[in-house]
Amino acid sequence: MIKLEHAHIEEVRGIRNLDLDFGRQTFAISGPNGSGKSGVIDAIEFGLTGQIGRLTGRGTKGLSVSEHGPHVDKTKFPDAAFVQLRVLLTGMGKSVTITRKLKSPAKPKIEPADEDVKAALAEIADHPEIVLSRRELLRFILVEPTKRSEEIQALLKLEEIGQTRSALNTAQNKLQTAQRTAAAQVQSCRDALQRHLQISTLRSEDVLEAVNKRREVRDLPEIPELTPDTKLDAGLSGSAKLPDFNKQSALQDLKALSDAVSGFPDLGKTEAARIVADLAKLEADPALFAALQRRSFIEKGLDLVEGPECPLCDQQWEDEQHLRDHLKAKLAKSDEAGKLQQALVSNGAAMAQKAIRVVGLLGPVQRVAEGQGETGFAQLLTGWKADLEGLKAKLTTVEGLAALKDRLTASWLGIPKALPKNLQALTDKVQAKPDQTAALDAQTFLTTAQIRLADYREAARKKKTVDVAWTSAKAAYDTYCSIMDSELNTLYEKVEEGFTAFYRAINEDDEAKFTAKLTPSEGRLDLDVNFYERGLFPPGAYHSEGHQDGMGVCLYLALMKRLFGDRFTLALLDDVVMSVDAGHRYQFCKLLKTNFPDTQFIITTHDRLWAEQMKSAGLVTAKTSLALHSWTIDTGPLVESNQEIWDEIGAALAKGKVEVAAAALRHHLEYASRHLADQLGAAPQFRADGNYELGELLPSVLARMKDLYSKAAQAAQSWGNKPEKEAVANRKAALSTSAGASGVEQWVVNKAVHYNEWANFGRKDFEPVVAAFKELLGCFRCETCESWVYVTPRHGMPESLRCACNQISLNLKLKPK
Amino acid sequence: MATLQQEIAEKFLAKLSESKQVDAEIIDQLRTLFAEHKRLKADDLVSIFSVPAGGDLK
Repeated sequence: MIKLEHAHIEEVRGIRNLDLDFGRQTFAISGPNGSGKSGVIDAIEFGLTGQIGRLTGRGTKGLSVSEHGPHVDKTKFPDAAFVQLRVLLTGMGKSVTITRKLKSPAKPKIEPADEDVKAALAEIADHPEIVLSRRELLRFILVEPTKRSEEIQALLKLEEIGQTRSALNTAQNKLQTAQRTAAAQVQSCRDALQRHLQISTLRSEDVLEAVNKRREVRDLPEIPELTPDTKLDAGLSGSAKLPDFNKQSALQDLKALSDAVSGFPDLGKTEAARIVADLAKLEADPALFAALQRRSFIEKGLDLVEGPECPLCDQQWEDEQHLRDHLKAKLAKSDEAGKLQQALVSNGAAMAQKAIRVVGLLGPVQRVAEGQGETGFAQLLTGWKADLEGLKAKLTTVEGLAALKDRLTASWLGIPKALPKNLQALTDKVQAKPDQTAALDAQTFLTTAQIRLADYREAARKKKTVDVAWTSAKAAYDTYCSIMDSELNTLYEKVEEGFTAFYRAINEDDEAKFTAKLTPSEGRLDLDVNFYERGLFPPGAYHSEGHQDGMGVCLYLALMKRLFGDRFTLALLDDVVMSVDAGHRYQFCKLLKTNFPDTQFIITTHDRLWAEQMKSAGLVTAKTSLALHSWTIDTGPLVESNQEIWDEIGAALAKGKVEVAAAALRHHLEYASRHLADQLGAAPQFRADGNYELGELLPSVLARMKDLYSKAAQAAQSWGNKPEKEAVANRKAALSTSAGASGVEQWVVNKAVHYNEWANFGRKDFEPVVAAFKELLGCFRCETCESWVYVTPRHGMPESLRCACNQISLNLKLKPK
Repeated sequence: MATLQQEIAEKFLAKLSESKQVDAEIIDQLRTLFAEHKRLKADDLVSIFSVPAGGDLK
């Protein structure tokens, strides 16, 4: 898979022009709501996949990447909107560049355009699940089991598997219908042959006995054995066609039809009644009928989808998957209609088989009528046969059955009125014919027997082929289902294992015995979690929102680990970690570092404190963090960095805008002092609402830092570590000097240096204030890694004062006496 | 990387070959169809399963 090295984003979503150096490392992007964080995620997602999840998911009707992906001022110039990513293909060790324009999402420019590179990037483009937003997170947890199943299936691309199973099932159903039709055809031919031979079973010996009796009459050699090549009339025919009219056989065929006619009115009556009842249900419920019509229509459409253009209405969709999801959602809504459809088609198929048997009776009689010059009757039978053949096709589709409703209510076979009369007349005519001589009877008996045996063999051959096809299709379907169920069960077990382990790791202090159960069943995926060993409950039952969010992330990570294994190298977590409560954030960082050492996470959060905690936990560094402080429609996200904030203040002062510089300085001091108070364990006067003023926080931070330096000096003294004692003294002196220059300690008593007055300062008066605070804040940062200093451990007696890179690492523990 | 779909497809074809319930020629054609990574269509499968099996049925 890949790791991100660099991103250049132009005119995409809310971004005008932004460069980001990811350096293949986990990267944090923080900033208040609306500062453009998610725009960065959108741009990366687009660069990698050509899609922007937030524009294509549910509730995004009317939104599209091409129209709403470019910056709002560039919608008419989509050429100007593009993302250029430099990524490392980890498997190949190749660094490649992808440039993707909003105008043509499906045609990225790839350099180098090697085939293996293109294939690797195409694979990434096929995995939009690398992006997890808060919206998706909750879909895993706080949803109905059926929905959760859908969400997880979508994430794991199980839809493809379900589609394959469905295609295999449809294929075996179609072949089963074909097999039944072939069986009916065989039965029909068999009946005709047995009727002619006047035998009750189609055993070889019975066939040969009947045939050899006639062969003897014709002085033909006896056929000792019936093989597939045996010709019953062998020895009779030369090249000339022999007459095949056999009076007795003809009379038997006429009698068979005549006997059957009396049963025709009741033939298929039950099935026809069921079909008519189901059709009546459809008529009574127009919505159901519409759903069924759409179902059939949509099924056809789904089969025809070959790209982002809808084959049903020509509408252009964002991509093929989006179109498929849309059609499948429509299909899912018509389950009741689906069951009705199945019942209709099943009853129709049973009637079609009966029609085949009727056609089988008509054929021989039609030939007799033709042979006896009864052209009118022969034509009547030909027409009826054609009608029944057409009926057969209609009986196997819902549309066909709906069109046949009136006919199914009456006499569906469409028996010609003239049939009994004509049948009787033909019978009389045949009976009136003089009996054939024994020789002619034997000859026509044999020729007719051979014709009917050949028909039977052909029907049996076709049935055998269809039998094999159906057996193969059924075996394939059953095997696929068995493998699929087994694989999915294994998958869910692994996911459950990973999910439990990850959640325990985050909540080791209070839920070390946490367990979870994923239970797949028909179209559902139940998730139950242990609540403090009181039993298994749905996640939303007792756990707090923060815990539920934590579960969402853990379930996602477990799924991704299972899905990609060692190739899970990149994930974009858009504001999904913010609800992990303060007490578990370090464990969360530890989880990512420990369990996913080779995965690059791009994490956004609107909680700046969280972003700083990621640095303290070593998940990211100053170089792999980006703080956005605000956003404007003209500039896009405004980046806040230690250097840039001072540049911004300097630029405002250069323009004489003291009030702007004062606001920026105050804003930065508020953020820094709040963060430092947390990192160092400062003790401002407690406020239950957590609403601390800058004038309370910064002095307490300063006091805490001086106290920590005193502790560090005492500790160095106790260990006899002179260099460290000296270093501490220097740092403390620098801090005191800077504090004095800034006047922090006099804020409360000296209004002249109070920040509320800054906006009224002149430029020359304010410049020294800025310089003093810059120097003061510098005392709390590492010169090397630029991270803020912090104490460890977070709770209890502090043991050391350090920075993220350990350049600053002061011992606070006294040597034991 | 093999997707879950591909993993299932591979195991499916292997088990089908092992079971000998389906003609080898049909399994070869199924393998080709699965390798194309396209959405499977029932009619394509019907055509494949309807291929005359090896032996005296040809």
